[in-house]
Amino acid sequence: MSKAMVCSCEDVTVDDVKHAVSRGFCDVESVKRYTGFGTGICQGKSCLAAVASLLEREKALKPAAVVPFTPRPPLYPTELRLLASAPVDMSVPPVGGVPQEVDAFPSSLRPEGPVPEKAKVVIIGGGIMGLALAYNLACEGETDVVVLERGYLCAGASGRNGGGVRMQWGTPALVELAKRSIDLMKSFARDLGINVWLRQGGYIFLAKTKPVADRLDRNAALHNKFGVPTRIISADEAREIVPGLTMKDCLTASYNPEDGVIFPWPFLWGYAQGCKKKGVRVETYTDVTGFETSNGQVRKVKTTRGDIACDTVVLAAGAWSPEIARLVDVQLPNEPHRHEILSTEPLKPFLGPLVSVLDTGLYFSQSMRGEIVGGMGDPLEPVGLNMGSTLRFVTRFAQALMEQLPQVGHVKVLRQWAGCYDVTPDNNPVLGRTPGLDNLLQMSGFVGHGFMMAPAVAERMAKWMATGESDELFTRFSLRRFSEGTLEREDMIIG
Amino acid sequence: MDLDGESIPAIEGEPVACSLVAADEPVLARSIKYHRPRSPYCFAAACSHCLMRVDGMPNVYTCRTPARDGMRLERQNAYPSAKVDVFETIDWFFPKGLDHHEMFAGVPVAEQVMAKVARQLAGLGLLPKEEGPVTPPARTLRTRVAVVGGGAAGLGAARVLADRGVPFLLFERDDHLGGRLAHGVPEQDGPQIQEAATFPKGSILTRATVLGLYDDEAGRYLAVGALEPEGPRLLKVYSERFLLAPGGHPPMVPFENNDLPGVYAGRAASLLLRRYDVAPEMAALVGWGPELHALAKLMQERGVRVTAVVDLKGPLPKDAHPLAVSGSEPKAHGLRRVSAFSYTQAGGGKKKVSCDAVLVSVPVSPSFELARQGGAKVTFDAGLGLFVVEADADGRTQATDVFAAGDLTGGGTAREAEAAGRRAAEALVGGLS
Repeated sequence: MSKAMVCSCEDVTVDDVKHAVSRGFCDVESVKRYTGFGTGICQGKSCLAAVASLLEREKALKPAAVVPFTPRPPLYPTELRLLASAPVDMSVPPVGGVPQEVDAFPSSLRPEGPVPEKAKVVIIGGGIMGLALAYNLACEGETDVVVLERGYLCAGASGRNGGGVRMQWGTPALVELAKRSIDLMKSFARDLGINVWLRQGGYIFLAKTKPVADRLDRNAALHNKFGVPTRIISADEAREIVPGLTMKDCLTASYNPEDGVIFPWPFLWGYAQGCKKKGVRVETYTDVTGFETSNGQVRKVKTTRGDIACDTVVLAAGAWSPEIARLVDVQLPNEPHRHEILSTEPLKPFLGPLVSVLDTGLYFSQSMRGEIVGGMGDPLEPVGLNMGSTLRFVTRFAQALMEQLPQVGHVKVLRQWAGCYDVTPDNNPVLGRTPGLDNLLQMSGFVGHGFMMAPAVAERMAKWMATGESDELFTRFSLRRFSEGTLEREDMIIG
Repeated sequence: MDLDGESIPAIEGEPVACSLVAADEPVLARSIKYHRPRSPYCFAAACSHCLMRVDGMPNVYTCRTPARDGMRLERQNAYPSAKVDVFETIDWFFPKGLDHHEMFAGVPVAEQVMAKVARQLAGLGLLPKEEGPVTPPARTLRTRVAVVGGGAAGLGAARVLADRGVPFLLFERDDHLGGRLAHGVPEQDGPQIQEAATFPKGSILTRATVLGLYDDEAGRYLAVGALEPEGPRLLKVYSERFLLAPGGHPPMVPFENNDLPGVYAGRAASLLLRRYDVAPEMAALVGWGPELHALAKLMQERGVRVTAVVDLKGPLPKDAHPLAVSGSEPKAHGLRRVSAFSYTQAGGGKKKVSCDAVLVSVPVSPSFELARQGGAKVTFDAGLGLFVVEADADGRTQATDVFAAGDLTGGGTAREAEAAGRRAAEALVGGLS
């Protein structure tokens, strides 16, 4: 059948690119994500220029706005075993990272025309939190909402995570939220008309030390209480679920077959499209530059495209939240921490669950497309908004992965990238009102698991905002708790 | 070599994909989504058309894998075989394409079935059965100037550095130096390839692929995958300056059936002809730029019957092939491989010619990845339709330790690339303490 290919790795045609443009995805990064071009084995070498030319010719972009998507190492597919051979100095923290992209959005990508002069609700952050909240507010009848996003949809952690969704948490609040989120993910395609490829292959947590093993034991009991079928499994059982798993140095494992993985990007597109259909404005490439306050209220949000007078402001900017809160003299306890991740060549299905060694922060799963997607925290990672990639990470990850799954030594890495965890002192989110600024609501601090919590959290928050009915979630996780010292620490954080 | 159980002749050391083309076995795999037949396109590891399972390893670039006696080749992503693949029906069922975002979204049952089917159909290749042997530990090297690319620009730079006595290391991913001088279209007055032996011993590394320009606590370095006699080894190469001259990738040019077996990048065609004496019998050429017309000449001289030369941008140069015309709307024809080529003539009217290969010759797409990782600015040149690295006449980029030369900054002849390499080397030597 006659087709004109732009990306022959992923079978993306000229028509697919035009379709993406018709859906409002015009910049190169968004078209890459929506069509999948440049995500295959060649990583854009043969197709990027063709797509850029097409976007320019179709007038989807101004010439100055035609910028390449971020080229991520390695330049050519590279075997994990080779990357595992680099020296790593664990006496020093990781330094640097390439390419630097935190301030990389050129102003030429900014939409023309001002933002609306006023809105009932302004949501800062077009990640899954902000978009899910906006969509749920619209469902509650509040459509006078503007969502502000500094980059393209998926530019932040919502577009950079590994897509794991699980109910295996250490506190009742998160177990319940995660359960509800996974239910909402199951009906997402029906509600919002876009596939999110939820695959419930389970999560296996491995424990290498006694304290972590005890934690898994204790949490399994908690999960069962909430109807989550987590069970402690033997090494042999784990190897039955994941053939080839060595379980090296592992004392025990916990397994919940109902956890799984999803494809993160369509959630953002689905919520954003749902918002737009209901009249909510989603403004990309628009930065917040300041606030106007009086009498303990935020009156206006200032942006690079004009000011918006508003009744309520929600700060849902993930790792950028502390930076934005400082613009209005609010100190958040959150700190950004880089987390690196990589993706390999796509292989036929061989790995059912997501596997994580809780002690070291290693995790890996196989995506719907067949890639091994995985990451590993660095215990020495310094605080800071850094989204650069390091060889140190790939080496540590490759070594840790090959220890548990030696056959992957020949598997080739296609690309590595990084995102930022939004870390709070007790690993729990910051939700609800801001002391001293009554109409500034917080929705941040999700420590790397905001993606999977968002559907449920947004549902509760929209209801709380729209009806004014009290909800203990917004007192339990309020900013006040850090000064009052009522902290309940979540202990099932990967990395 | 063994190709799915059939014996295939090959010349030891030539690229596997070249052997297969020469043996008239162009279909090496099926594509990931529509199961369209795939055959080699770029011969530069810049597309994915030639990936095969080789000796049990998935997704191997056969365009860069030397043929060896007894090698086992398997075509991927096809059932029951790449020649007759039942999933090819996907391509026919969805002539307008398959929107995986919205197909069956929210349709009960269908949605779940689709997810199961998609999971089985997705992915390319199988997990290797064997554990990879442990690679030798990475080696850390330090030099004053790291040169990436052993083409005209890189060699020009290396000559200056050698003459000035500045320690340097040059990395070339091919097993030979020269880049387009060795396998592109010969240019009039093009520079000679400078042999490795004419440089200080140990300063030229071939079969060494630069994987990234990273930084860490000890400074900025290149990660290099070097193929040493005992196997692959990772090198960390710290350097004071990085002179980037990696050339470019042969891009896809979007036209109908541009992925049909028998469609090749122009640089692939010249490489096959010049290095391995493999050429089509009848070729139609399409594209733009000086290389298109020079390639037509080369093909003609070497006995290939050129049936069309279609310049999509024009105007035609004075010494163009007698058949050369301005045209648009190119299209490759054929069921499983190219049998004809058509286009719309400048004055209107379609024209169709027979051929067994369509050669797509356009300026290469600069390999700007390392430069961007190093902090250089990359901009879109709308005239060329390419992303280029911003650099001044001496190759200086926005990053003080990164210099760019050759195709990276927007093309030109090999002679110009060599001169740019020399200028960049001169400029950076001046800045070294």
